[in-house]
Amino acid sequence: MEEMQGTEPQSIAQSEASFLEIRGLAKQFGGVHALKGVDLSVRAGEVHGLVGANGAGKSTLIRLLAGIMQPDGGEISLDGRPVVIRDAQHAMSLGLSFIHQELNLIPKFTALQNLTLGLKKPTRLGLVDWSALRREVEPVIEQMGIHFSLDNRAEDLTVAQQWLLSIGRALVRKARLIAMDEPTASLSPEEVDHLFKVVRELTRNGIAVIYVTHRLHEVELLCNRVTVFKDGERVALLDRASLSRERLVEAIVGREQRRSAQRRESSVTPETILEVRNLARGSRVREVSFRLMKGEILGLAGLAGAGRTELVRLLFGADRAESGEIHIAGGAVRIGTPHDAIRHGIGLVPEERRSQGLMLAKSIAFNMSMTDLGALRPVSWLPFVSLRRAARRAEEMIGRLLIKMRTTAALVQELSGGTQQKVVIGKWLLRTPRVLIMDEPTRGVDIGARAEIYDIIHDLAHQGTGVLVVSSDVEELVQLCDRIVVMVEGRISGELSGAHITEETVLRLSYKHGKG
Amino acid sequence: MKENASIVAARAHGARQLVGWLARYGTFSSLLIMIIAFASLSPGSFFTVSNLVNVVNQASLTAIISAGLTLPLIVGEFDLSIGYLASLAGVLVTGLMVNQHLPVAVAIVTVLLVGALVGFVNGVLVTKAGVNAVIATLGVGTLLIGFNYGYSAGIPVSVGVPRAFLAIAFGRTAGIPNDILFMLIVLAVLWVVLNRTDVGQMIQAVGGNIEASRLSGIRVDRVKIGAFMIASVCAAFTGILLASLIGSGSTTAGDSYLLDAFGAVFLGSVTLRDGEFHVLGTLVGVLIIGVAYNGLAIFGAPAFDQYVVKGLILIAAVALSTVARRFARG
Repeated sequence: MEEMQGTEPQSIAQSEASFLEIRGLAKQFGGVHALKGVDLSVRAGEVHGLVGANGAGKSTLIRLLAGIMQPDGGEISLDGRPVVIRDAQHAMSLGLSFIHQELNLIPKFTALQNLTLGLKKPTRLGLVDWSALRREVEPVIEQMGIHFSLDNRAEDLTVAQQWLLSIGRALVRKARLIAMDEPTASLSPEEVDHLFKVVRELTRNGIAVIYVTHRLHEVELLCNRVTVFKDGERVALLDRASLSRERLVEAIVGREQRRSAQRRESSVTPETILEVRNLARGSRVREVSFRLMKGEILGLAGLAGAGRTELVRLLFGADRAESGEIHIAGGAVRIGTPHDAIRHGIGLVPEERRSQGLMLAKSIAFNMSMTDLGALRPVSWLPFVSLRRAARRAEEMIGRLLIKMRTTAALVQELSGGTQQKVVIGKWLLRTPRVLIMDEPTRGVDIGARAEIYDIIHDLAHQGTGVLVVSSDVEELVQLCDRIVVMVEGRISGELSGAHITEETVLRLSYKHGKG
Repeated sequence: MKENASIVAARAHGARQLVGWLARYGTFSSLLIMIIAFASLSPGSFFTVSNLVNVVNQASLTAIISAGLTLPLIVGEFDLSIGYLASLAGVLVTGLMVNQHLPVAVAIVTVLLVGALVGFVNGVLVTKAGVNAVIATLGVGTLLIGFNYGYSAGIPVSVGVPRAFLAIAFGRTAGIPNDILFMLIVLAVLWVVLNRTDVGQMIQAVGGNIEASRLSGIRVDRVKIGAFMIASVCAAFTGILLASLIGSGSTTAGDSYLLDAFGAVFLGSVTLRDGEFHVLGTLVGVLIIGVAYNGLAIFGAPAFDQYVVKGLILIAAVALSTVARRFARG
C-alpha cells in the first residue's frame, strides 16, 4: 500500500499497480484493422490521456471497454484478473463508466432522477422515498461541488452542469474508472477549470480516469500519463516527465513524408467561383472565410468535431448561417435551403450516402434524375417527364463513371458501396455544378472504386468545377487536393498549398489550438 | 449434417420465394379465388353482367377516394379526414344548390375548391407546424364534422336537388355508368401525375427517402402539401358523386369511406410491389373489398358480419403490407 501523503496534487492517490490492463487488443471491421493489438494500462488515481488523429482507434477501444462490441483478440484485466466484458450492463457492474459527448441524460427528468437512474430506490409505503434518496446522494453532491438544485430538469442545465451530473451519476454507481470523451468541447474557460478540479478530486479518491481529447494543452495540464494511438497502434506512452506539446504532436503525426509523386496536374484557374466571408453559426462554425477557385480541388481537413460538416451544411443551405456572406462567381447569394444552393450551382455529395444521398428502393435512373427533373421534360413548359430521357441520361453517366451495371433500371440497394457512391456523384454531374461539395467521398468504398472516384474528381476539376472535398482521411486529402484549409474548433487554423501539403503539416494544423 | 443444412437452406429459400410471390401476386390470386368461389356458389346472382357492373359501379366511388389517399401514404403521411370531408362535400354541394341556388357546375367547383383548401390546411399543419399527421387530420376531420352540422343542422339536404345533378351519378355515357368513367379518369390522371410528371417523381422521391430528397433540392414541404391537396380533392369529388347517387346530402354518408379506403390502399401496396403504395394496386384493393361486400350481400350476411369482414380486411391488409416491406428490405 502506498502512503497518501505526496504534495504533488496529481499523484496523491496514484498507485503503481494498474487498475485496468489491456494487452494486445485487436478489432477488425470488414478487413480494416481498427486496432492492431494495442496495450494500455491505467492506474487507480491517475488521469490517463488518450490521444490520436481521426481513425487512430480511440473510439474503438472505448467501445470495446464499454462492452458495446467484442474484441477479435487480446486481453482486458481489472485488478489483475482477466475479464470478458459482455455488455454495457456488465461493464457498469465492473465499475467502468463512460461519458460521451452526447450525454446520456433524460432531458425531462430532474437532476436527481437522472443521478439515480436505474438504481434501486428506497421506498416508504411502497412509494419512492425521494428525501431518503436525496440524503443518499448528498456525499456525491458535496464531493462534486454541485451547486445547482437537483430539482432542475436536465434540459435546463448548462452543458457544464450536465457533465457534472454525468460524472456524479458514475460516482453514485460506484465507478472505479470513468472514461470521458472530449468533455470540454463546449465549455467556457471557467467551466473547464471547475471540471478539472472535479477530475482531480476524483483521482484523489482513487478513481481512474481515461481522458480522450484532441486538445493537447488540456492533456499537458491534467494528465499523469498519455497514450498516443496512430492507425490502430500505440505509438507512444508518455509520463509527466516526458510530456510536452511537441512530443505529443510528433507522436500523433508520425514522421512519414508520403507526398504522392503521381499527383495529377492541377487545373486551378485564377477565377474565384465561391467565396465565403465570416460565416458563423453557434460554436461549431465561427467566422469562417475562404475562397474556392474555378477548377480547384480544395480540401477541408480537421479532427472530429472541428466543424467541417456543420460548415458544409451552411454552404448547402441544410442549416442557416447566423451571419456571414456567401459569394458565387462574384455575386452575393442567399442560401436558405438546399433548393437555393442547387439553383446557384452548388451540389453536395453527403456524408451518409444511404440515409442522405439515395433512395435505396428506387432505380439508378430514378436516383440520378432527382437533381434535375426539369431536364426530363420533352416540352419545357409542360410538366410531363420522359422516363426514356431519364434512362438515357443515366446510361451516359454509367459509362462516364465506369459503373458496372448493364441496366439503369437496377435498384440502388443491390449495388456495392462504391457503385452507390458513384450514383450519388452521377446525379450531381448531370447538372454540371459550379461547386461540388463532397463530404467523405470514399467512406466505405473499396480501393478500386476509390481510385476511380479520385479520377472523377480530377476530371470534374478539369472541366472547371470547384470541388470542396471534406475528409477525415488525411492521406486522401494530401493525395487529392491543390490546397487544404484546416479547421479547429469552428475556425480555420491554417491553409496549405503545393509542396507544403503533407500528412504531417495537415495534422499539425489540426492540433493548432487557439489558446497556445 | 451437410445435407441437412442444405435442405434447411433450400427450405428457407423456398419459404422466402413463397413469401415473395404472395407479397406480389397474393392479392390478385385472392381476388380471383373470391370471384370463382362466388360464381360457382351462386352463378345466377353473382356472375351476371349486371351484377359485375354493379360491383364495379359501387366500387368506383371507393376507388376515387382511395386513389387520392394513396398519395399522402406514398409520402409517408396519413389522412384521416377524407371520410368526413366526403360527407361535408355531399352536404355542401346539395346545400349550395338548394339553399344558395348556385348552378350545378358552380356548386361542384366550389366544393372541389373547399376540398383543396382542406388538403392545404392538413398539409400545412403537418409540414410547417410539425403536427403528427394522424392527430392533425383527425383534428381537421372533427372540425369538418362540426362545420357539417353547423351548415345542415344535421338534417339531410334532399328536397329540391336539381335533376341535372342527380343525372351525374345515374347517367350512362356510351352505355357505361358515369361513375365508372369518373373512376377511370381519376385513376388515369393520378397514374400519369405520379409516373409521368415531375411532381409525381418528387412525390415518389420523398416517399423513398425524405432527407435525400431534401438534399437533392426537392422542396419536401410543398410536395407533401400537394399530396394532401390531391387526396382531399378526390375525397370531395367522392362526396359529390355520392350525394348525386343517393339524391341527397347526408351528414354522415361519406364517413365509412375512411376505413374502406385505408384497407384498399394497404392491400394495393402488396399488389405487384413489396409494400409500396401505388395507384393501380389501390384499384385492385378496392375491387377485392367490393367483391367481398357484394358476395356477402348476395348470400344475405347480416350487417355485423360485414363489419367483421371490414375489420379483418383492414388488419390483414396493413399486416401484409408491413411484412412485405420488411421482406423487401430483408
